[in-house]
Amino acid sequence: MSHNHGDTIPLHPSSAQSDMDEIESLIHAAPSPATVLPARPPSPTRASIPVSSSPAPSPVPTKPPFPAASIPISVSVSPVPVPASVSVPIGADGFGSPPNTLTEPVWDTIKRDLARIVSNLKLVVFPNPYREDPGKALRDWDLWGPFFFIVFLGLTLSWSASVKKSEVFAVAFAVLAAGAIILTLNVLLLGGHIIFFQSLSLLGYCLFPLDVGALVCMLKDNVILKIVVVTITLAWSSWAAYPFMSAAVNPRRKALALYPVFLMYISVGFLIIAID
Amino acid sequence: MDQRQVVSENYANPITCFFHVLFKAGALAFYILFSLFVKSFVIIFVITVLLAALDFWVVKNVSGRILVGLRWWNEIDDDGNSVWKFECLDGESLARMNKKDSWLFWWTLYLTAAAWIVLGIFSLIRLEADYLLVVGVCLSLSIANIVGFTKCNKDAKKNIQTFAQNALASRVTSSLQSAFGVI
Repeated sequence: MSHNHGDTIPLHPSSAQSDMDEIESLIHAAPSPATVLPARPPSPTRASIPVSSSPAPSPVPTKPPFPAASIPISVSVSPVPVPASVSVPIGADGFGSPPNTLTEPVWDTIKRDLARIVSNLKLVVFPNPYREDPGKALRDWDLWGPFFFIVFLGLTLSWSASVKKSEVFAVAFAVLAAGAIILTLNVLLLGGHIIFFQSLSLLGYCLFPLDVGALVCMLKDNVILKIVVVTITLAWSSWAAYPFMSAAVNPRRKALALYPVFLMYISVGFLIIAID
Repeated sequence: MDQRQVVSENYANPITCFFHVLFKAGALAFYILFSLFVKSFVIIFVITVLLAALDFWVVKNVSGRILVGLRWWNEIDDDGNSVWKFECLDGESLARMNKKDSWLFWWTLYLTAAAWIVLGIFSLIRLEADYLLVVGVCLSLSIANIVGFTKCNKDAKKNIQTFAQNALASRVTSSLQSAFGVI
């Protein structure tokens, strides 16, 4: 469950700067360990440090400031096979450690997360390059986009509502959150191969067209225009979600997996049209 | 000696500790105070959940790796399986971590989750389903971080043991070599 944050950008520069100060203080603190290390004569310590630090200089240039203070050990553990955790460290060392994220500046973390959200959004907004192999899309899943879209849709609907704003918001959020979870469980129960959080991420990103439709309907109070806009955005969301859900399930059960998805989007569409 | 004692009694990263606590306290305080005095559920929900999400991100990506030297995330490999990834500093760096930072980190994680559970019980007692929604989201984020860092910590301890064993083996080997005069 790696969640990345990107919807409150203005606050981060200040915290990023303060954390940059922390990292700079770590850089200043690095010389003292450097002076301590020569004082330690034991050969096993010297033998181990070069081995773990050898992959360090190549991936990221920021690592030289922390050659001794922080040497990363990256280990991947699959939740199902327990014995795999014993052999994984050797494999990780054999592959060469992936780029180190423990000592990177906070700004690099923010940029990476934002880039991930943008790339995931492109898969939904623009024609999907992985339409033939949907499993590859949204492999780098995150839940920040879905979270933002659900809150945005709830806010838009509650602003449009003249009365009972709280109920409208709560119902919209609950329907979308629970709906995504139920749809994912539906696919899993049909024997489909899909990762739980990847599916949540997918369904959430596919809400983006409906969000745009809800915004347009909030600004224009014409019922016919609302129906047209919601129909277009509904078709768009369904079209974006279709390849993922259909590929995850046995072809004979495709309809069983797809029908609830369309049903959720249609109910959201009706919610958008009805509230005024 | 005196200087070391004085240094060890202070937090090594006060600014990170501050932000680590700030967003947690902000979400809890905002939820409690606005629930008592302001009756606009939408505002309470949005601001509280945004603060909780911001806290989640800061703990996972910033304070976790600065205060306790751990980081975790989940990704999908080429076979389409979900894989947990953990990163931790090596044994020496972990041993050099400030104990007060680590203490603050773990205790605030657990206390925040406990606080949300208590608030959730209050919402249940008063049959407020909408506020239960807020607590549910915030509690999910807290528990996700606790689970992630607990797994990461266990993995780090395994690495420390492996590191210690390798160091011991190297020492034994070098002792044997020197004893037999091979070097």
